[in-house]
Amino acid sequence: MRLWRHLVGVPASVVALFPLVFVLAASLNPSGTLTGSNDLFAEVTWQHYATLFTDALHPFPRWFVNSLVIGVSTAAGSVFMGACAAYAFSRFRFRGRSSGLVGLVFIQMFPQVLAYVAIFLLLSAFKEVFPPLGLGSTLGLIMVYLGGALGVNTYLMKGFFDSIPRELDESAQMDGASHAQVFFLILLPLVRPILVVVSLFSFVATMNDFVIAGLVLTDPDQQTLAVGLYQLVSYQLGQSWGVFAAGALIGALPVLILFQFLQRYIVGGLTSGAVKA
Amino acid sequence: MRKLTALAATTLLLAGCAAGKTAAPPPATLTVWADDSRAATLQRIAATFEKDRGVQVKIVQKAMGNLRDDFVSQAPSGQGPDVIVGPHDWLGKLVQNGVVAPLDLSAKAALFSKAAMAAMTYDGQTYGLPYAIESVAVLRNTKLVPTAPATFDELVARGKSLVKAGKSTYPVGLPVDPKAGSPFHLYALQTSFGSQVFGPGGELEIDNPGGLKFAAYLKRLAADKAVSTSLTGDIATNAFVKGETPFLVTGPWDAPALAKTGVPFAVDPVPPAGKEKARPFAGVQGFFVSAKSANPILANDFLVNYLATPQAQKALHAAGGRPPAMTSVREELAGDPVLAGFAEAAAEGVPTPNVPQMDAVWADWGLSQLAIITGQGDPAELTRKAAERIRAKIGS
Amino acid sequence: MRALRFLPLAVADALAVYGLVALGGQRSWWMFALLLAGTVAVNAIYLSKRAVPAKYLAPGIVLLLIYQVYVVLYTGYAAFTNYGDGHNATKSDAVAAILAASEVKTGESRPIRVVEKDGELGFQSGPGWRALPYAEIVARQAEIVKLRVPAEGGVLKTADGVTAALYRPTLTYSGDTFTDTAGTVYRDDGRGAFTSAGGRSLSPGWKVFVGAENFTSVLTNAEIRGPFLGVLVWTFVFAALSVALSFGFGLVLALILDGYRVYRSLLVFPYAFPAFMAALLWQGLLNTDHGFVNEVLLGGATVPWLSDPWLARLSVLAVNVWIGFPYMFLICTGALQAVPRQLAEAAQVDGAGPWRVLASVRLPLLLASTAPALVATFAFNFNNFNVIYMLTGGGPRDAGAPIDVGSTDLLISLVYKLAFGGSSRDYGLACAVSILIFAVIAAVSLAGFRRARRLEAAA
Repeated sequence: MRLWRHLVGVPASVVALFPLVFVLAASLNPSGTLTGSNDLFAEVTWQHYATLFTDALHPFPRWFVNSLVIGVSTAAGSVFMGACAAYAFSRFRFRGRSSGLVGLVFIQMFPQVLAYVAIFLLLSAFKEVFPPLGLGSTLGLIMVYLGGALGVNTYLMKGFFDSIPRELDESAQMDGASHAQVFFLILLPLVRPILVVVSLFSFVATMNDFVIAGLVLTDPDQQTLAVGLYQLVSYQLGQSWGVFAAGALIGALPVLILFQFLQRYIVGGLTSGAVKA
Repeated sequence: MRKLTALAATTLLLAGCAAGKTAAPPPATLTVWADDSRAATLQRIAATFEKDRGVQVKIVQKAMGNLRDDFVSQAPSGQGPDVIVGPHDWLGKLVQNGVVAPLDLSAKAALFSKAAMAAMTYDGQTYGLPYAIESVAVLRNTKLVPTAPATFDELVARGKSLVKAGKSTYPVGLPVDPKAGSPFHLYALQTSFGSQVFGPGGELEIDNPGGLKFAAYLKRLAADKAVSTSLTGDIATNAFVKGETPFLVTGPWDAPALAKTGVPFAVDPVPPAGKEKARPFAGVQGFFVSAKSANPILANDFLVNYLATPQAQKALHAAGGRPPAMTSVREELAGDPVLAGFAEAAAEGVPTPNVPQMDAVWADWGLSQLAIITGQGDPAELTRKAAERIRAKIGS
Repeated sequence: MRALRFLPLAVADALAVYGLVALGGQRSWWMFALLLAGTVAVNAIYLSKRAVPAKYLAPGIVLLLIYQVYVVLYTGYAAFTNYGDGHNATKSDAVAAILAASEVKTGESRPIRVVEKDGELGFQSGPGWRALPYAEIVARQAEIVKLRVPAEGGVLKTADGVTAALYRPTLTYSGDTFTDTAGTVYRDDGRGAFTSAGGRSLSPGWKVFVGAENFTSVLTNAEIRGPFLGVLVWTFVFAALSVALSFGFGLVLALILDGYRVYRSLLVFPYAFPAFMAALLWQGLLNTDHGFVNEVLLGGATVPWLSDPWLARLSVLAVNVWIGFPYMFLICTGALQAVPRQLAEAAQVDGAGPWRVLASVRLPLLLASTAPALVATFAFNFNNFNVIYMLTGGGPRDAGAPIDVGSTDLLISLVYKLAFGGSSRDYGLACAVSILIFAVIAAVSLAGFRRARRLEAAA
């Protein structure tokens, strides 16, 4: 019974991981090409990693911290606002409810070729009036990301709220609980797995963005990992793949570590017995 | 009502706190956008400027891929940088959009080569301060091929015989972008057949008789496996480092990294394939001042008095490997064989066209090369079709 | 404790008051009105006892309106302008740029001193004029470079504050027209440029409204009409298959590997990597002659993964599934936890085998809770520009076709090519195409929603 699960799990893991072995090889290869050769690990050097941490030109540790700060704040904000909205959509009946939901999906489908120009103009206007939300501000960038918080996440979380029987909050309300108490004390703990999943997604999406982040934060000390790394390879001639690969690997660590920590929340409701079923 | 008054009181209190702090006027800040390959050097040069003038310089590292377009879209708002660094072929687009200011180098202009100053000129106005001239050349592994081949045919033949002898894997490392072709790297070969991108009168020439001969030649190179759409820049470079190919067609930007790998190489100009001279594209790297800069005098001061100096030009060369545009610096560094090779290649070069429509030209031109290399039709026909499309787009 | 509940609102109000004051100071009355209306609405929502759902929706909606709806509106606005290369800024910027480029230097630079009297600036010192020190020159630099001092044969101007040279303007600007030295007059042609009677325009121009011109030019443009249908179909197929395949893999893996922490940790790896990097990486792995897939996995085969039209479509899909399946795997894992165990146990007690339990209890519940994620992923992939752009650039392109469209182009990459692949970047046109595409999507999806609602009502 167990073996066949491994027969699926092992190949799936190989498919998931083997391309990344190339990244690891590239980060250790002195000539620093991404896929220039298939004899992996023929030569090994730590020079690209050393470059990452010693090069004043690329304040990599700074970028790393910036990405974490922006990622965590965005994730927390997105989850909170998304959960609030999902609660409203799931538990209340109000005018514009269904069209509101449809609207959230629609706005996601809008082809945003020009978003970066529009966002730039908006934030440069903010800079004149209210600098903390304008260009060059980390908070400003987080707010831009939070502007997208309602879309996917609300829709996703609403589905989970819907799967929790309404009788639960109705009986609590009969016991005199307010809507806020129902939300914070009863529902949120129950949908914990999806809260964790959504915050992870939002964190990853933030870590990966280089277009808007590169637009808003121009000071090298403020920049994020994705922006910094993209600089290394965006120029067609003379790309620094080795340093890029090393940076991308280290940049992926927070997500992986975070996931290990959050796993048990995702698996919260499960007991060991179910595995054997 | 109690709620409202409480709220109003708190609000006013908080608003009062916010209004309470008034900011002192910040010192003048000069913002420079530069890519990765020169940001650090500029930072060092700027440090002296900051000390001398009591101002701040902010060097912003931008990805090369979107530096120009971000500048064009941000400069009009007044929020863009004061100075940018880039190749001269951006100039047409920058002038067309009115985002670059004319620059008066006065006496300093004489310090630079004529070609460099000409590249920084558009419609009779000088717009930039040059610092480097770059062209592709052939890097030759001197252990595998001790002497420079005189023609490209000979180069391919030597490469093929090395492959046959089992001493290398690919005859030539000629990078091709599988999405965009390689008009930049192949241009020297094309000109050796007497085909320029724009003729003397500005008319498109890629499908003139020479251009069609070049197209046929390109097909032959592909058949010889001397070019292939799967040999991308990083594969070719890696192969050269490992001695798997005796030749690599590339520019000076790769040289500092290659020198560190210890592979023994010499730099020769791209040899001709046709009967005429092989003339690669020459790109002039330079500094440009924004038309909407709030610091025009500081920007001018920084460019003319701090960047147009032998020390600065030398430092920029040391960081990026590009041959300096300042004549005296180039002469001073003449002993460096790698630099001399690239400088020789650039001396024969034709400036990359700086017309605003170049983006459209590159795209169709490169795609026709890809189609020829992958054998998707008659080379002459593909070239003519691409030329027609380009003419339709640029209206010439 | 009760007062504490108002603290967030008070902070928001304080910021709003600050913003109102600043906007008033700048006389930006439009933004002032919007901010005021927004603040009043938010206060009304949180101070009232009713409007409970609005209390939960307000923060997200406010940000959504500011950042996302604004982008849509801006796109709508730009679609009616000629915004793009050559029409990049305002008329006054254009006039300034034309004037600056028209000045020809006629003399050598000579040292000057910038002097000031009663706020007025000049170059010659005289009684009552005070020479400016460097710090003051820097402080007033924008003014100083604009200074033109009439002199014999032209005007003196300075670029550095310490030297000046004689310049002769070749164009003069007066009464909203430019006149060159030959006497040719360039007038505002109403289309964002100064044009002479002979049709020559001065560069740069500026941004103006052009009405529905962008829309009509798209609709009459054979370049877009021709491939539109094919690209539209492929876009739907790509988005639908991306969702279906990644969901399928994710679901199967989630079911099979339920409870195996190791696998869960390993399968999340592709997701932790920047997607743009994954696309670049796969471009290398799928390289025809040197890629790992051909050279090692297929023993030296030369399968043209990215240059054959059908294989390229397959590759793009496969790579997108590789990028996307961990997301689905996580969603499904999470959703499976949310299925109440009692339900499955009850079914088991009733004698249902594991497959029955799966098919009739767990799967339907799982589908119900993941359906929104599927819809959202579909929407995301519909506009998945990055993967296409980094992996194939929309190619391979049919070399014989007259138009620049490849077999893996999505609608969004077609917009990109159409707007930016020509001789100049044309944002106005790009916006018009975006709006039209959006209209198509909206029509198709609305029909779908209607049908879904009818089914729901019938059930």
